[in-house]
Amino acid sequence: MLQVSDVETAYGKIKALKGVSLSAAKGRITCLLGPNGAGKTTLMYTIAGILRPLRGSIRLDGQEIAGLTSAAIVSRGLALVPENRLVFPQMSVKENLEAGAYRRKDAAGIAEDIARMYARFPRLQERREQLAGTLSGGEQQMLAVARALMSRPRILLMDEPSLGLAPMIVEEVFSIIKSLNRDGVTIFLVEQNAHMALGVAHHFYLMEQGRVTFSGEPGKLAEDEVIQRAYLGTRRASA
Amino acid sequence: MDDYLVSVLSNIGIISFVALSAYVLLLAGEVSFGQQAFFALGAYAAGIATAMLRWPLALALCLGVLVGALAAAAVGRATLRLSGLYFAMATLAFAEMMRIGFELFTWQVDVGGSLVGPNGPDGFGDIRYLFENEITPAQYMLVVYGLLAVVLAALLVLDRSRWGRVLRQAGADPVLAELQGIRVVRVRLVAAAAAGALAGLGGGLYAHLLTYVEPRNFDIMLGVHSLAYGLIGGLGTAFGPVLGVLIDIGLLESSRLFQGYRMIAFGGLVAVLLIARPRGLLDERAVHWISSRAKGLFDALAARRLDHPFRRR
Amino acid sequence: MIDIIQNTVDGVMIGSSYALLALGFTLIFGTMRRLNLAYGPTIMAGAYLGTYAFLALDIGVLPVALLVVAGAAVAGLYVERLCFRPFGEGAAIASMISSFAVWMQIEEAASLALPHHLNAFPRLVSGQPITVGPFFFRLDHLAMLAVAAAAAALVHVVLHRTRFGLGVRTLIDHRRAAELVGVPVTHTLTLAFLLACAIGGLAGFLIAASEAQITPMFGMWATTKGLIAMMIGGLGSVPGAIMGGLALGVIEAQAQWLFGPQVRDLIAWGVLFAVLALWPGGLLGGRQVAEQQAVQRRV
Ligand SMILES: Nc1ncnc2c1ncn2[C@@H]1O[C@H](COP(=O)(O)OP(=O)(O)OP(=O)(O)O)[C@@H](O)[C@H]1O
Ligand SMILES: [Mg+2]
Repeated sequence: MLQVSDVETAYGKIKALKGVSLSAAKGRITCLLGPNGAGKTTLMYTIAGILRPLRGSIRLDGQEIAGLTSAAIVSRGLALVPENRLVFPQMSVKENLEAGAYRRKDAAGIAEDIARMYARFPRLQERREQLAGTLSGGEQQMLAVARALMSRPRILLMDEPSLGLAPMIVEEVFSIIKSLNRDGVTIFLVEQNAHMALGVAHHFYLMEQGRVTFSGEPGKLAEDEVIQRAYLGTRRASA
Repeated sequence: MDDYLVSVLSNIGIISFVALSAYVLLLAGEVSFGQQAFFALGAYAAGIATAMLRWPLALALCLGVLVGALAAAAVGRATLRLSGLYFAMATLAFAEMMRIGFELFTWQVDVGGSLVGPNGPDGFGDIRYLFENEITPAQYMLVVYGLLAVVLAALLVLDRSRWGRVLRQAGADPVLAELQGIRVVRVRLVAAAAAGALAGLGGGLYAHLLTYVEPRNFDIMLGVHSLAYGLIGGLGTAFGPVLGVLIDIGLLESSRLFQGYRMIAFGGLVAVLLIARPRGLLDERAVHWISSRAKGLFDALAARRLDHPFRRR
Repeated sequence: MIDIIQNTVDGVMIGSSYALLALGFTLIFGTMRRLNLAYGPTIMAGAYLGTYAFLALDIGVLPVALLVVAGAAVAGLYVERLCFRPFGEGAAIASMISSFAVWMQIEEAASLALPHHLNAFPRLVSGQPITVGPFFFRLDHLAMLAVAAAAAALVHVVLHRTRFGLGVRTLIDHRRAAELVGVPVTHTLTLAFLLACAIGGLAGFLIAASEAQITPMFGMWATTKGLIAMMIGGLGSVPGAIMGGLALGVIEAQAQWLFGPQVRDLIAWGVLFAVLALWPGGLLGGRQVAEQQAVQRRV
């Protein structure tokens, strides 16, 4: 469904992505692991159209989206739950959800979806008039996911949704990911929490220093090695 | 040199002080719209010292420096924890309060049969020290440029010292600087006081050049211009602000190019220049390029002449 | 006591135009995080267009109003293209100085178009003040209050009931997040900029019509009054801008009555200085700034 080939992205003169190729299959959960600074967030922002790749192609259902604006990409059914959540801190929970539906024009459908989000995330309903900046970290993560879903994405990108959350909440986040996927949303997930991620993923990639260095199905044998590399990087893992 | 040229050059030199004053604060990461306040304080203080108290010029200029530095430090204490637009507006508010304060300030004494001193909105005239002591405009110009050279040399030395690095670090990324153990607010306070001193010195020189100052000389226009000079000339070196003044006053105001359309031409030029070079003509890259070129040239010369005096063996 | 009430009422009426000025200013600052020093001069350009047409063609006051608003928006477009659009994130100071350079341009262009320092401007309404008991109300001030209130209400509706308004609010709140939900950033920024200049143009029209005159100094005046009102209320906050404008109007009216015009300005700047030194976020913005910092610390 999502195909990234040979993408390079730079900050100024420094290349953070040095030719990345990977794909996320329809209806599946694909996971991207890698140590800090590997370029995972950069890749997510590049796919979402926030950063422009120097070269390479990004296809969504066969159509090229590299170089489109983020607005056009959202319209085509791709949404990103960003690293650090980035909710609108001065807006209420409800306004955040409305903002998530910015590209849509069907007022009735939007209202319906907001009700659906409240059903899925009851905590958000309780706090619908509260400013998002005053929510707890876990609540903000729920809101960020719900906001992304408000655009009715066919594929959902998630960048470290477990970051800074207590283990209980992390469990909750992953059960949400699974249930979303059961409802037919394709998911492309970046995680530091390799153990949890490999528990839900159908396929995973390992990224180091701007390149994809490993790809496979999660299986018992490879897992420890992968986790080690994802946390520590290749050099120390093999030393 | 003809009188007009001398007066233009003196003016350029003097305005450079207030431009450098804004520049020093910019390096520390703060935008000030209010350096004209310390320029005004220096002008009034030095003018009062020579015209009313009959002090010698050197002492009067020192008073201007002192008053500028102290006032800037006091304002800095109240406002330096602000940043960005908040700080800029606080400095502007202070400067406007000073300007209106001078409009309300009258203190005149009898000097040789006539009343001399600040006279509210009518300003402060008869600062006749140069005339009374038979200092010619050309001599005064040399004084101005002598002092400017000292200030520039000090700033260039500073830029290469540990202090200069600390200053730029505190300006570029205060959070990181704080993590590295730099007390950012204190660095900025010192920078603000130094900037106030520079503006005070310029103000003292200004009052004696014109012999007459009035509060409206020190309005927001002077403040924003001083800031603009640094951005036009470049933030990479202390020569930048001086170059900015030279371009504005020297090239455009004094040559009668674009007469009648000067501001339209100048404004458009600056806007386009900033698009091409957001940190001015002599930005950090340009300075680096020039200094490495100069070093290359110097090394080449040194290599050709082995008995070069700088290459003792 | 009667005087204090009368001054407060006068202050609120004048303050309503300051509130509009601050509202435009804050829309630009809130969305772009950039200071547009050419904001006042842009408005002055609109007012000059209006007065030029008024003097040359002898048109009525309503067409003049339209011309002022349209002229301010067109001048605003010029400013946006030259001083804001070309600069990426991070060049905030260059952008600001560039807008100052354009201020110089506009001021000179205005004095070339109408060389007299003082130019007549048509009044919106004229007639005897209305008296109610011991109080009296100038008609033009009443009209100013009514138009300003209507305009502020309209802006509120635009911000809260339209997609464009939603986009503007998301940009004020968090630019990156706005991009993520699909707000067309460049387009929305430009439209917000033009809206802001049009609001400023309306404020400028109301003020010039009440004074019945316009000078090139109006640009600097509008920039400083808008800035003070915006900063008193809290940077980038729409309700703050309105409160700040009204507060500035009342403070000035009282100070003028007590001490005369010079001290009035001294007090206005003094209040700004005190607000900044004591509550750095402005009167309404303080809590929000603290919250925002808390949020930033958390992420
Ligand atoms: N805005 C930026 N400007 C310059 N360099 C950047 C910027 N953002 C990221 N980088 C650099 O790009 C590289 C990749 O960063 P990125 O954030 O994509 O890593 P990541 O894999 O998401 O790491 P983490 O697991 O810590 O989130 C890093 O070396 C980082 O320093
Ligand atoms: Mg990351």
